[in-house]
Amino acid sequence: MSWLANLSKTYDDHADVVGQFEMKKSGKEYALIPISHTTQTAHIEVHLNEKGDIVNAKVVEKNDGSTIIPCTEASASRTSAPVPYPLFDKLAYVAGDYTQFCGEAKGTPYQDYLIQLKAWCESPFSHPKVQSVLNYVSKGTLIADLVDRGILHADHQGKLLEKWTAGSGEQEGEKPKIFNVIAADQSGAFVRFAVNIPGEPESRLWRDASVQQSFIQFYEMSLQDKDICFVTGNYLPVADKHASRIRHSGDKSKLISANDSSGFTYRGRFRTSRDAAVVSYEASQKGHNALKWLIDRQGTTIDGKVFLVWGSTSLDMPEPQEDSFSLWEDEDDHEALAGGDTTHKDFALQIRKAIGGYRYDGEYNSKHEVTLMTLDAATPGRMSIMYYRGLDQNEYLDRITAWHESCYWIHRYRKNKNDKPVLFIGAPATKDIAFAAYGPRASDKVVKGLMERMLPCIIDQRPIPLDIVRSSIQRASNPVGMDNWEWEKTLSITCALVNKKEGYGVSLNTETTDRSYVFGRMLAIADVLERSALGKEEKRATNAIRYMNAFAQRPGRTWSIIQSNLQPYQARMGTGARYYNSLLDEVGDKLQLEDFTDKPLTGLYLLGFYSQRNDLYTSKKDKEAAAVLDKDDENQLNEQGDN
Amino acid sequence: MRNQIEFEVSGKYALFTDPLTKLGGEKFSYQIPTYQALKGIVESIYWKPTLIWIIDEVRIMNPIQTESKGMRPIEYSGGNTLAYYTYLRDVRYQVKAHFEFNPHREDLVHDQNEHKHHNIAKRAVQVGGRRDIFLGTRECQGYVEPCQFGKGESFYDRIGELDFGTMLHGISYPDETGSNEREVRLWKAKMQHGVIRFIRPDECTLVRKAGEGTAKIFDAGNMQSVDDLHSEWFGNEVSE
Repeated sequence: MSWLANLSKTYDDHADVVGQFEMKKSGKEYALIPISHTTQTAHIEVHLNEKGDIVNAKVVEKNDGSTIIPCTEASASRTSAPVPYPLFDKLAYVAGDYTQFCGEAKGTPYQDYLIQLKAWCESPFSHPKVQSVLNYVSKGTLIADLVDRGILHADHQGKLLEKWTAGSGEQEGEKPKIFNVIAADQSGAFVRFAVNIPGEPESRLWRDASVQQSFIQFYEMSLQDKDICFVTGNYLPVADKHASRIRHSGDKSKLISANDSSGFTYRGRFRTSRDAAVVSYEASQKGHNALKWLIDRQGTTIDGKVFLVWGSTSLDMPEPQEDSFSLWEDEDDHEALAGGDTTHKDFALQIRKAIGGYRYDGEYNSKHEVTLMTLDAATPGRMSIMYYRGLDQNEYLDRITAWHESCYWIHRYRKNKNDKPVLFIGAPATKDIAFAAYGPRASDKVVKGLMERMLPCIIDQRPIPLDIVRSSIQRASNPVGMDNWEWEKTLSITCALVNKKEGYGVSLNTETTDRSYVFGRMLAIADVLERSALGKEEKRATNAIRYMNAFAQRPGRTWSIIQSNLQPYQARMGTGARYYNSLLDEVGDKLQLEDFTDKPLTGLYLLGFYSQRNDLYTSKKDKEAAAVLDKDDENQLNEQGDN
Repeated sequence: MRNQIEFEVSGKYALFTDPLTKLGGEKFSYQIPTYQALKGIVESIYWKPTLIWIIDEVRIMNPIQTESKGMRPIEYSGGNTLAYYTYLRDVRYQVKAHFEFNPHREDLVHDQNEHKHHNIAKRAVQVGGRRDIFLGTRECQGYVEPCQFGKGESFYDRIGELDFGTMLHGISYPDETGSNEREVRLWKAKMQHGVIRFIRPDECTLVRKAGEGTAKIFDAGNMQSVDDLHSEWFGNEVSE
């Protein structure tokens, strides 16, 4: 299905939540806006009775200001020229006594507003509550009524105050609420109406579905210009202008625009944009409103680039750019993993369990699709679809699972809800991969580029681009250049990237004779040996760490330096170093003689390093116990041989 | 089928622009080739004004993947602008097409030699086409090879039905319709086990007008019969 048809279907599938505001964790409100409607921030709320008399009025609190208002195509894209919204609008449009209080307005906004509202009320789709509003605004006493009720404030000449200056003679008392909710002067206040009819539960016109429906029908009737829609294939009223403000409220760029009447984007074969393509008003409205809603609800935005995933059956899907930890972040039972379970089977089970929650059971034959979409704008005016992919839901989940199970390592950089660092096994987030490859100061532009490049690796199981892996290995091989936590994070992410290709796994591979892996193991032993000789208080970097970069480039030569630097520590530890020395011999044995050269190491040495170090730290006690048992044996020989 | 050719066309990138995004200039590709794009490819392989190529089927061999590139299109008012184009990546299609004689070309009735054109077309497929092949837009070079339609494995073999909704079918030009109007055809595309069976242009019901034009005239003034050329070069010798 084409992207706009898919979005417009998403709108239809969620018709039951149209017009309902939901709250994000951040406290931001969002809603699936009905067609022919938009949102605005209202400042003043006016309550009327059925006959159209004012009953009450109040200033709207800042967090309650979001209002769904009916709009026409012309008013939705109005600029400085006055074009009224059909029902709710600023004082200049809805107040008949605006000139009396605020001076001349540009054009005839009030008259235009009345004409438009009358046309609605006289159409077959009129609504009694809208009639009440018409009755009231026709009186032309709105500002006077609001001043009477102490909502708006006038000065001595009977004009609205431009701004509130506390303490001056004529303005006493506390700062009125209206000045808190509105940044400009009072004349710019936006008004919304409620009509109280006894027995009717919903008085707020902006929440009343029947009013919304009434306007949609009225507006549809007024659209005369019909053509074949390129999205639905039906003969329908045509959209003249398409939605902007897609990514956020200040966004001017459009997905469908056609203002290049002098260039040759469509001109040439076609004379007008209308010749090239037309979209029906309904498809355009539904599609764009659904897209805005999805972005607000579950989109990830980085430097203007939006990453979006949604399912046709259930909207929420595991996002490809997230790490494994966030898969089970919201669950309580992830502690089992943090307990130190490191076997691949257990961890794979965890992943499968977490992702299994997204799978559907029940009717198997019907279609369940997942759509991935990435949006970005190269210039401020036009937005582009950078990535678009429709996949079967189960197939998508299979691929996400495969990613988490192949590009994994032990990570320690995440924190849980209680802000405590936790250990997790799994794939890193693509944002963290950017951190590993380009460092913590990488600009958002670079990060978003990498995140897009990683998408095919996750979705299509393509190999990770070499430059990313190589750059991460380079950074992970240089621990002296960064803080310890930063290096550890870089190291574990790089290990995940290398492991994706090599598939060695976290647990120590004692069998392999791969040159890089074995060299990595030796480096880890040298590191752990020196660290334990230094004791807990001494924080300085070990020789192994300091020479890591050189070691990766020229392992043969650098190893002899490290080994000679190690000698004082071996001497200090005395018999305590016995175990390490024997281990060094054992590992060194794996190395073929012809492999002991200065040929640079591959990324695999990081895996050997990490796994060996991890192995030494986690099970040292067990092994030492084992070592003590047969201390009379060949250990002594090994120790001497090692030195 | 009579007069049919089968071939495989592949390329690194393809851009079958979705008309909705052509308006603004941030071109975004359809997921599958349009009828008109394939017709253009077949016409690049071999075409004479006597013929109308009809695309029967296309088989999508590789998974549909997109990749975007930053572009600097020329701004005709001066300088450059910036845009993102989204291409299909690594595409391979098997195509089945046949030709019919253009009934509106009464001036070329004498050229309606089925056997001749079919054999030339088959030879043209063998050598990868007579003219440059491109997939949708000019920057996406394509390569044609003969193949047996349906042979080999497609990524979508096991996927029953995929619905692509309403999309562009093609543009009808005056020389093939006989009228002086240019028309845009739409249709609802469906893929079954990787194969899309196109409806014929005259079966499209969603047709809208998009300007007018006239058919080019071919007569003795701008065309020479191969028999005439032969006798001009070799006299009355009979070729073997």
